[in-house]
Formats: sequence, C-alpha cells, structure tokens
Amino acid sequence: MSAISTDALGKRYGSNWALRDCTLEIPTGSVTALVGPNGAGKTTLLKLVVGLTRPSEGTVEVLGRTPRDDERELMPKVGFVAQDHPLHAGFTVAEMLKLGQRLNPSWNDDIARRRIERLRLPLDRKVGKLSGGQQSQVALTLALAKQPELLLMDEPVASLDPLARREFLNSVLEAVTEHEMTVVLSSHIVADLERVCDHLVILSESRPLLVAQIEDVVASHRLLTGPLADAADVARVHDVIRASHTKRQTTLLVRANGHVYDAKWELHEVDLEEIVLAYLGYGAEVFEVAS
Amino acid sequence: MIWLGWRQQRTETVIAAAILALVAVILVPVGIEMAHAYTRDGLSHCLGATQRPLCDELVGNFQQRFDKYNSLVGWFNLVPGLFGVALAGPFALELERGTHRLAWTQSITRRRWVATKLGLATGSTLVASAVLIAILVWWRQPLVKLDGRMDNGAFDAQGTVILGYGLFALGLALAIGALWRRAIPAAMVAFVGYFIARIFVDTWLRQRFITPKTVTWPAGKDQPASLARSWVFTEYPSNAAGTKMQPVPRACFSGTHAKCIVRPGFGYMHAVFEPASRFWALQGIETAAFGVTGIALIAFAGWWTLHRE
Amino acid sequence: MIRFHLERSGVPTYLQLVQQVRQAVRLGVLEPGDQLPTVKEVVGTLTINPNTVLRAYKQLDLEGIVEGKRGVGTFVATDARPVPPDDDRKLLRTSLERWLQRARAAGLDDEEIAMLFDDTIRPPAISRVA
Repeated sequence: MSAISTDALGKRYGSNWALRDCTLEIPTGSVTALVGPNGAGKTTLLKLVVGLTRPSEGTVEVLGRTPRDDERELMPKVGFVAQDHPLHAGFTVAEMLKLGQRLNPSWNDDIARRRIERLRLPLDRKVGKLSGGQQSQVALTLALAKQPELLLMDEPVASLDPLARREFLNSVLEAVTEHEMTVVLSSHIVADLERVCDHLVILSESRPLLVAQIEDVVASHRLLTGPLADAADVARVHDVIRASHTKRQTTLLVRANGHVYDAKWELHEVDLEEIVLAYLGYGAEVFEVAS
Repeated sequence: MIWLGWRQQRTETVIAAAILALVAVILVPVGIEMAHAYTRDGLSHCLGATQRPLCDELVGNFQQRFDKYNSLVGWFNLVPGLFGVALAGPFALELERGTHRLAWTQSITRRRWVATKLGLATGSTLVASAVLIAILVWWRQPLVKLDGRMDNGAFDAQGTVILGYGLFALGLALAIGALWRRAIPAAMVAFVGYFIARIFVDTWLRQRFITPKTVTWPAGKDQPASLARSWVFTEYPSNAAGTKMQPVPRACFSGTHAKCIVRPGFGYMHAVFEPASRFWALQGIETAAFGVTGIALIAFAGWWTLHRE
Repeated sequence: MIRFHLERSGVPTYLQLVQQVRQAVRLGVLEPGDQLPTVKEVVGTLTINPNTVLRAYKQLDLEGIVEGKRGVGTFVATDARPVPPDDDRKLLRTSLERWLQRARAAGLDDEEIAMLFDDTIRPPAISRVA
C-alpha cells in the first residue's frame, strides 16, 4: 500500500501552475527525498499532502484518505515540519510542548520530554532565543511526539549548518528506527540524501521527472565516455539523460537498461548528486527524460 | 485549544485590563465625589415637579462643577475601539507570522481552531465592554438624573451600545487582518474605520433611526415637560401664524427662557426631538446595527481564513 | 565490535555494509557469536536509513554469515564460513585462469578484462534493474 498516492495532481496559483501532472506513489515505510530546485513545486506538493491547500486538479490520497476532507481522521496521523519551522517565538520550550499535548490526542509526552532532555534544550527558554538548529529540533519534536504514521518535512535542513544538519537527520532516522513511519522530506541539497533516503522524487518546473528507489537509481545510471559519436545508438537501448560533446569526446549519462556492450564506451559509476543534477538539466542539453 | 487561545491572547488581555483599570482610576474618585455631592446637596429633591428652594442654584453649581468631566468621558468613546482592535491582534499576528499552519497541522480541525480563536476574542471584547459599561453607568448616575441620557455624550456611554461598538471594532480589525495579514497596519486602519463609523452614526444616522417628534408651545411659556431629558435636535420660534422666524440666540435656551422670549412677534416655540422614552429603542437599534455588522465581519474573517488557502 | 564506515562511491550503501562484515569475518576481526551493532546504533553513527541497515543484515543472514535473534540482536553465525575451503579455492582459481586465457585470445588487454570483471561482479545492480 502507498502512504501517498497522487493522480494527475495539479495546483494553480492565479495563472501559474505550481505543480502539474504529478502522478506518483510513495510506499509505506519508505524514506523519500523530494528534490528539485527552488520553485520546482516541492512545497506545494507537501502542502497538498498535508491539506494546507486544495488541489486545482487531480487527486491526492494520504494513508487512504483525502486531505482536507478527512481532516479529522487524517491529521492525527500526519506530522508536519514546515519550511523555516514557524513556531511561537514568545513561547517557552515547555509551552510549545504543552501546545503539542493540547492539540494532539495521540501526544506522547515521554517521547517529547526525552528528546528535549537529550538535546539539552532548556525548557524555560523562549523559542525565539534558540538557534536555528534547536528550533528545527523543537519543531521535529512536536511532529514526532504526535506519533505520526507519516512525517512530512519541508526543507528541514536547508538553513542548518552541517553539524546541526547531521544531528537533525540522525534524530529523524532514529525515530524511524524506533517507530514505523513513512517519511517524506524535501530538499534542494542532494548531499546526504543518498544515505538517508531510500526513495527519490525529482521535481523540476512543477513536474515530477523521476520517481524511483534510490538504490535502483544509482545502480542503473552510468556515465559513458567515448570518442565523439552520435548518441542515437545508445539511445535505442538506454535512456540518455544528458549528452555533452567536445571535439573529440562524447559523454553520456544514461539510465542503462541492461549491459552496455559496445566496447567503445568506457563505463563510470556516478553518485546520486550527479544523477540528480543531470536530470535537472545541469551540464548539457537534455536528450530525453525518462519518466 | 482553549489554553492555546488564552496563551496567545495573554498580552492583549492584559492590555484590555490595563485600559479598564486606567478608566476606573480616572473615574472612580470623581464618581465618588459626584455621588457624594449629589446626596449632600439634596439634589434628588430638585427633580420632581415640586422643587425645594434654591434648586436652580444648586443644580447650576453641580453642573458647573462636574460637566467638565463629560468632555473627558467623551474620550472613552475610543475605548471599545481599542478593545476590539487589540483583541483582534492575536488572530492577525498569527496569520502574519504563518504560525496558524503549525496549529493546522496538529490534530485539531481548522474549523475548531478558527472558532476557538474568534470565540475567545469575541467573548473577551464583550466582557471588557460590559465592564466599561458598568463603570460608566455607575459614574454617570447623578448626571443622568439631572440631565437625562439622551444627548450624544451620555447616550454613547450608556445602555448596550458599547457592546455593539466593541464587536464592530473587533470585526473590522479581524476582517482587515484576515485579508491583509499584517497585524499592525490592519489594526490602525480598523481603528480609523471604527472612528469614522462612530462619527457617522453619532452625527448623521442616529437621528434618523426613528422619526423624531415635534412639539409646539406658546412663546413665553415654559417648555413642555416632554422636552425634559430628551434629545432636542432643533428648537425655533414662529409668529402667531406659524411661520418660522430667526431663532433666538442660543444663550436664551439655558435656564431663563422667559426673559429672552420677550422679543415681539414670537407666537410659538417649536422643537424637534427624540423623547427620553425612546432611549431603549434607540439603544437597541444602534446596538444591533453595530453588533450585527461586527458579527458579520467576524464571520467573514473566519470564513476567509478557512477558504483562502 | 565492528565499526562501519561509508565511502562515497557508486557502491550501494547496504552493499558496503555487507562487504565490511564479510571482510571482518574473513579477517577474523569478527568471530562467531560476536554481536553486530544494533540498527539504531548504525543509524546513529552513520546517519543512514534504517531500512538500508536492515537490508544489509538480511542479506548477511541469507548468506549464513550472521543470525538475527529476535529482540536480542544480530550475531555472527556459529558456522560462519565465508571463506571457501582451500580445495574449492584452487578449483575456482584454475577455471578463472582458463577464462583469462580465452579472454586474452579474444584480444582483450588487462585493463579491458578488469573492466569487464568489475562490471560483471559489481552490479547485481545493472542487470537487476533492467
């Protein structure tokens, strides 16, 4: 069963489509990365999933329910850490926890207190006086103590320094280890995602370009280098994501369908970041885009 | 959710309480002094048809001494506006900062969140306005007995209209805040709007709520009793045939009519007025006008917030 | 106890973990009955997806190198014998040498052979996906 499933989902603001033709499935229990440049529609997709906005077209189903319409049943099962984690700056950490407790019947105060203790956050400190990393940890605590089945995070680490980022991701993953849940996090930073996530959705210009398991993505993509040649031969068997040429040499990033037998191509493995960048059109003309 | 609502409204509740305390601090000493003077001078005996001697002097003295506070109390017309604008603050601030999304992604429904926030603001505004009414009504008791409560200065600070004013200011601030999502500018615009609406009603609309009565009496005689404590819009003389003439100087209306009206040619005096008996009818209409508008604005703020995103 | 590390390469993360355990058993760093780090510990130190660790442990279990004991942890199997016995190894080596000769006869140089070998050995990857 899918935790999230969308069908031809779209959202328009005025005459601009923030998201379009979005059809995807996010499997239960997965940790999915939603990557793409700023403005690609990541936030919009998450907002649609959590019911902060309504679709302009298509449908979205979350944990078997329709966001917004089934608000009462769905919201207790969904944790959401919004971009820049807006919290009440004038509240103390303790008051933020009280907020979580008052607004969530499924609240587990033990989880919350233990996390805050381990992070060594003073309960009487005003949230506005905490560092960005600490604030994001408070926001995460709020989402986790609710014991959600689905945890959604919009750019949770974008504003954090590398150490805070690592700590934050660690917290998320430890929570995933302890409690079964599906996680979706959006990011425009690809580094770290390869190890943290197991599924990948690439969004670009309001549309999903690739929805796949990360392991398959890394395993199936190869960089081919060889003498200057037309990519057409390769393209007949494999999906050419990116092709670039110099006077002597051709470099192809392909999604290989099986072995590349032609001996004139030298094969290289590529890491996720390179692959994502290729999909997003960085580096050369995009020949065709696998769907 | 109610805890959260109170917690977020803490500062504004304190502000409202502080304003009430300030009003009390200003009015209570004067009120005690006034009530004391009223009983000491035995002014209650000057109210009936059979007046004790020296009443004119005693009442004149009393009025001279305390009427100046009337203009001070006029400033308190702003207070229900302050209540409404201040108590709309938490809602507008939340929308401005985007923290409402935090609440909306917890387990409660958006509808419940909006209802609780707006309900608390409305309830608090009504309570604060009611306390203000209590202070003002208590304070003005002696003046009401002497002068009635129909002229604008008294009418605005009596009865139930202040509840309507509070609701209206609150609704206006909430609606503008919901549309604009900028708390401070919304509060300022709402306050100006409140002020304009009040002036419009005070100076133009209120006298059109109920068609006023007219009364005619022979010149040189005392005013008919029905004019006492009434809200008199105009008073003018006419000749014996009933043709309107130049009104006498305003000074003639105070106290000693007969001396003024010796001018030849005046046959009759006429007055257009709302009698004191219509006090509650006028209060009811004005309270309803402001109150219903206010509640409609509050409902709009809630509806817009729920459906905008 | 073994301490995992990760390299930035095209090798899938779970496979890196599998290889590190195999290596450690082969080298005697891990002995039968030794406990592997818990999933939570691995997640905590490497900041990796717990599913990846589970997958690696499952693979090792399938290979008979480790045994998962429910609620206790994962231990190196008592009969863990990742290294083929000497006879087997000799046999395998001989057949590989024969294959090498064939490859050279077909005109492949050492580098090409290495590439072909790499390409074949590495990806359960590439062919699996297709």
